[in-house]
This record gives sequence, structure tokens and C-alpha cells, in this order.
Amino acid sequence: MSSRSTNDTGNEASTIDDCLAIGSIVNSNSHMDYTVEIFNETDRDRPPEPHECGFGQPVFINKTIDGTEYIIMGVIYDTQLVDPDQGRSGPRLAQGDQPQFTPGYVEERTTLAGVVLLGTAEVAGDGTVKSPSQEMPRWTLAVDDVVKQCPDEVIRSFHSSPDDGLQIAYIERLLDVAGPLGAEVTLSIVERLRELFPEDPNQRVLDVVEKDVRWQSSVDRGVMR
Amino acid sequence: MSSTDSTSSTGKSGKELIGTAAGPGEDPNEFIVVTPDEQAVKTGEFITYSVPVEGTDRDVIARVSNREQARGLPETFMADPNVAPETVASTLGVPTDEIDLYRLEATVIGYYDTGMQTFSNPRQLPSPGTRLWTAPNEMLEAILPNLGVDEQEATDASGSVELSRVNVEEGEGIAHMGWLLNREANAVDIHIPIDEFAATHLAILASTGSGKSYTAGVLMEEMMMPDSRASLLVFDPHGEYGTLSKMRGDEMFSSGGYQPEVEYFDPENLRIRISELNVGDVMSILDNPSDRMQERLDGGWRAMQRRESRTWGVDDLLDEMRQQYGEDDSSVGALEWRLRRSIQRNNLFTTDANVPLDELVAPGRCTVLQMDTLSRRDQQMITTVLLRRLYQARLASVRNRGDDDEYDGEIVEHPLFALFEEGHRFAPSAGEAPSLGIMRTITSEGRKFGFGLGIISQRPSKIDQDVLSQCGTQVTMQIQNPTDQDAIKNSVEAAGEEVLRELPGLTPGQAVVSGDAMNTPVLIQIRPRYTEHGADSIPATSQWRKAHERYQQQPTRSESADMGGGESSGEEDLL
Repeated sequence: MSSRSTNDTGNEASTIDDCLAIGSIVNSNSHMDYTVEIFNETDRDRPPEPHECGFGQPVFINKTIDGTEYIIMGVIYDTQLVDPDQGRSGPRLAQGDQPQFTPGYVEERTTLAGVVLLGTAEVAGDGTVKSPSQEMPRWTLAVDDVVKQCPDEVIRSFHSSPDDGLQIAYIERLLDVAGPLGAEVTLSIVERLRELFPEDPNQRVLDVVEKDVRWQSSVDRGVMR
Repeated sequence: MSSTDSTSSTGKSGKELIGTAAGPGEDPNEFIVVTPDEQAVKTGEFITYSVPVEGTDRDVIARVSNREQARGLPETFMADPNVAPETVASTLGVPTDEIDLYRLEATVIGYYDTGMQTFSNPRQLPSPGTRLWTAPNEMLEAILPNLGVDEQEATDASGSVELSRVNVEEGEGIAHMGWLLNREANAVDIHIPIDEFAATHLAILASTGSGKSYTAGVLMEEMMMPDSRASLLVFDPHGEYGTLSKMRGDEMFSSGGYQPEVEYFDPENLRIRISELNVGDVMSILDNPSDRMQERLDGGWRAMQRRESRTWGVDDLLDEMRQQYGEDDSSVGALEWRLRRSIQRNNLFTTDANVPLDELVAPGRCTVLQMDTLSRRDQQMITTVLLRRLYQARLASVRNRGDDDEYDGEIVEHPLFALFEEGHRFAPSAGEAPSLGIMRTITSEGRKFGFGLGIISQRPSKIDQDVLSQCGTQVTMQIQNPTDQDAIKNSVEAAGEEVLRELPGLTPGQAVVSGDAMNTPVLIQIRPRYTEHGADSIPATSQWRKAHERYQQQPTRSESADMGGGESSGEEDLL
């Protein structure tokens, strides 16, 4: 696992190199759907705070393909807690105040996050991104690839269409892969985009999208007809 | 099919590739067409496909009866009118270019059978994947009206049958009514055969202001053209046809030595000879005659009709009745009062004057009976007597009574066409009208004797159903009233659902032509008239203003207003 120094700027990082690493890939459910283990104190000096790796957090993975550096965009659409100790009712060797005797598996309590891939973008020399594509990424990620928190500037670039409009073309894949929480994760992205695209026409489009997603999920869940 | 396989449009001919047959529809004669173009095909459009019938490829015509969007942007994209659905679509990465797909339902009419001279249903729907074209303009011109295009006309020098090459305008005895509404103006001109509706009668049904008199004017113009030279008789209770005289001297209508004559008859020269009435007519204008009175009148009238003289009057009739039933007969006394009141004091009836029929009607002559100053009862009376005379004169002509020395009645040697403005006045569905009987007779029998009627009315429900159902050709214009729509549905055989569905949506000048003169009902735009139209509404506000200014200039009058006594005809119109 590569250990790269991180700073505290978190979401405010302006280039992709300074971003906070929030976890690493441990598993995948499909080409689009990966499981990430969120870093804890034993993995990193500066593990992510809960608000930095929450539900709906956009993330990215650096990947160099054929000499070109790309980022692969994703979003956390689900989380899961893992406790190997769960269900064990036998005696413990250590008390709460004796951490030195704590067996490893107690520390192996982890938080897993589901990440769905949204698209790709090329990394420009100055650490910004260009040529965003919201098509499905063709490359597969690898176990131990580091997943980083995505800065606002990159989110904005990734969602800009060539004609300076707003683009959320991955929406149907997101809704599909994210399954039961698809509507919520989409709405959380819409919420972020509202702040990043304050211009009036974009706000109106986001209104329409938000209403559509809310209405559709209400219908699917039998709340509305 | 033509050779335009690769190009989608051939422009002027009106033949355009529009879509692909997707499969059969709900009804046996229905099929579904998928088309990507949202502009080209409207409901009511005629489309065509090719199908082999007994070894020959036939162009089958079908009518588009419905149009639905099969694919398009979801309505949720249209939640905010300020945001174009395309913007939402491009944001969400949904393709927007040429994604609209339309699903047309089309009903097969058939291919034109040059032997039968009408449409023949191949009972064969286009198989899925068959390409469909809009029907070419020339072809529609030739086959939509019942022009009887035969194989000879449609065959070109090389021997192949091509309906598009038939030049309709060269035909004689056809009336250019207008053009197909779904195509450009004058692209598909509709010419209907005058012979057809002159024999099997015509009905022009439309609500007020939608152009029925205008349409009648168009037809009359066509009938007075040099190639038809009709003998027309117009019963005009409103005086709307005053402008027809403009036809006289118009180059359009003259040819060789021919010029149409337009004669106007006003009530002054429309007297009825009393001896022309039959006893039923008289009964209908008397005030509640008792049974005994009717019996007395019947006896007297028969005796008078057996006499040589045809110039007898009410006095002679009364003398005859006194002779038969005695001087003091109380019923004759009561009849005397009624007869004098209803007949003798009415200027309409005379003992002698009688316009000879050959003065009234002649080929190439349009006779307009201007009856606007007469009461409804008098209008009906004139109509009754005149129709009866004309009918008998036609009957005599067809039966060759002219050669019979004993026959001393009148003879009209040529066919006649009589047009009734406000047709429901002369053949009402409710209430008595002396003219109803003869109208029924002519509509059911007139075909054999060359006597056609044209009924114009804004209240189809008020026309006698027997009369209306015998009108073989119908020109139906905008009608909103559901009762009137029902009347059309019940009595007009050719009025299918598709015709009725169109009626409320038509605007003035648009009409559905159906019946004997057409091979299939079509929606047309009536052509502009060559002569001016005379039935426009009176511009009330400008006339009020003028009248007020006139009064202002005059000294004030001290007379009190006359609030009664005037004869109102408005109430009658409502009945």
C-alpha cells in the first residue's frame, strides 16, 4: 500500500495530488461497483473524518494508462461496518485499558464503502483535469488502488459539458448500480452540483432532474402513483 | 412504384417516403406504420403501398386515422417551462437528435380497380417492413372522386396502367370544389362529377357562418360552366344569391355562343294559380277545418278539377260546393270564411297568372326564386306547387307523354336540379309542411326522372330523415351541435366515424365531401368563388354608428315607439 503524505486541506485541495486518501480498494462486485476499505488510524496518520468519507462523497482513483494519467471518478453509494468479533461471546484476554494485549482482529474492525464508477478525466500537467467523459470507464481498477476524496474543482470540471453546460450523463448507470439507494446518492450529487453550478439555467435543470428522481423513487417505492 | 427508391422525397408529385409498416392494427383493415418524421404525415393523409394482387402490383391507398408518439423525451423533462426538455436531456446524456418516433394507424381503403371504377380492398395488409409513401397528387385527383376513370384512360402508350397520368381537368361535367386539405393549396384538386349528385341529390350541411351558401355558390358556378350548362332552380328564402348574376358576361363562364343566364324571380311574379293546388295543400293552410268541412272541400275541389277551365277561383269553388251541398250548409259557410281569409285575400294566389315552366327553367339558366319577403307558409306553398308541376313535367317527358295528343300538361325536356337554401323549412322533420310530400317523392324517385335536389341546411336534425337519407352526396362542414351530428350519423350512410370525428374541428371553408360523388370521404378546402359572395353578415356596429349619426342630424320626433303589431319572423326561425 503506497503511503503518500497527505495534508489537511481535504475537500479544499485544488489539485488532485494534494487530495486526502480515504481508503483502498479491497473487492469488486462488478466492473462498475467496487468495495473500498476506509483507512483508520493504523493505516494512515491522518485517517479521513466521517464527513470526509460519507454517503454521496465523490471520490477518484489515479490511474496511468498508456503513459497518460487519468482519474477515474466514483461516488460512495453505500457503507458497511465489519466487525470480526461480532457474535463472539467468549472471554477476552485484554481489558479496555490494556490495548497492548489487544489481539489483531479487534483492530480489524473496519468500515467498507461501496463506490460506483461515474466516468474518467485526463489529468493536466498543472494538477487540474480536462476532457471529462461520463461514459463507462473501460479499465478495471486493482486491489489496493487508493481512493481519494475528490475536490470541488474536479467535481465541477468533471460535470461540465464542452459547451459550458452541466452534464450528468452517468445518471441512469448510477441509479441502476446503486440500487435501493440510487435515488439518495443521485440527490446528494445534485445537492453538491447546486453549489458548484450556481448559474440560473443550470439550477433550473437541476430542479427538473431532482424532481424527476424524487418522483420516480416515490413511485417505485409505492408512496405515489 | 416509381423509381424513386433511394431518395426519400420527390417534392412536387407529392410522393414521399414516410415510414415503414410495423404490423397489423386492431381492426381487420388497420395497420401500424412507424415514421420518424413529425412533420410529413397528418391524420387524414392518404398513404400508399404496393401489393401484388393476382399477379399485378397494385398501389393500395390507406388513410392515416391516428397518430401517436411512439418514442420521445419523457414528460418529466418538461416539468419546468423555462427549461427546454432538450437541455435536460443533454445534461443527462440522453440523445435528442431524431429520437422522436411516431406510430400511425392507417386504414386500408383499397386499390383503384379500373374495371370496377372504384376502390377494391385487396384484403391484404402490408407486411412488416413494407415501405409507405404519401400518395401522389395526380393519382389522388384521379381516384378520390367518383370520376369513373377506366383502364383506357389510365393506360399510357407503353401499355402500363398508371393512374397518375389521368388528367382530371380535361374531363367534362365535373365540378372543381376545392383541394385536399392535408396537401398544399391546389396540389390535389377535387373535382366531383356533377351527373352523380344531380341524379342522387346533394346535401350541404353546416352550421351558420361555416360557409354553406358559399359552397353552394361554388357548386352553382361549376354547374353553369360551359361544359355543364345546368338547368338550376334555387329556392332562396334569404335572398343570398343576388351576386350570381355576375356570372353573366364573365369570360370564365362563356364559351362559343354560350353565356349562363341568371334569372331572378321575386314574389311579384311567383303567383300560384289556385287550380294548381291540391286539396291537401288547401287543408294545410286552412284554420282547423272540421271533418265535415274537409269532406265538403274535397268534394268541391274534385268537381272543380274535372272542369276544362283552369282559371277558377274561390267564388267558383264556393258556388260548386253550394250546388252540391245546398245553399244553407253550415260547413260550406264556415269554409267560405276560411277560404276567403287564407286564399282569396292572399296575394300569392291568383286565378289565372301562371309562369310557364319553360320561362322558369332552361338549360344554361340559373333561376333564383327570391322568397325573402314571403312568410314561411307562403314559401312552402310556392315550393310545393312548383315542385309538383316540375316533377309532373319531367315525368311526362320521361314517359314520352309529349307525343300523346290527349296530354295537355306541361313538359320539361331536360333534367333539373333544384337547390334549397334553408332546406329544413321545406322538408321539416317535425311539424307539417305541404312541401314535405313532394320533396320525399322527388328524393326517392327523382333519380329516374332526372330531377335532383340539393338541400342546404344548418340544422340537419330538423330535416326530414327520409329526405336527408336519400341525398346521395354530402358536403358536411363544421357542426358542433351533438343533435345535428347524430342526425348526420343516423341518416347519412357514407358518414363514417372518421367523418364525424372531423366535424367539430373544421374551420369555415373546410368541408368533408362524401357519398356517391366520391370513392371515399375526403376533407377539402373549398375553392374561392369566382363571383362575389352575397350572404355576409350585416356589420352591426358600423351600421348602428351611421344610423345614430343620421338621427342626430334630424329634428327630434315626438311619436311614441310602436312596440307591437309588426310581424316577427325571428321566432319562426327558431322553431
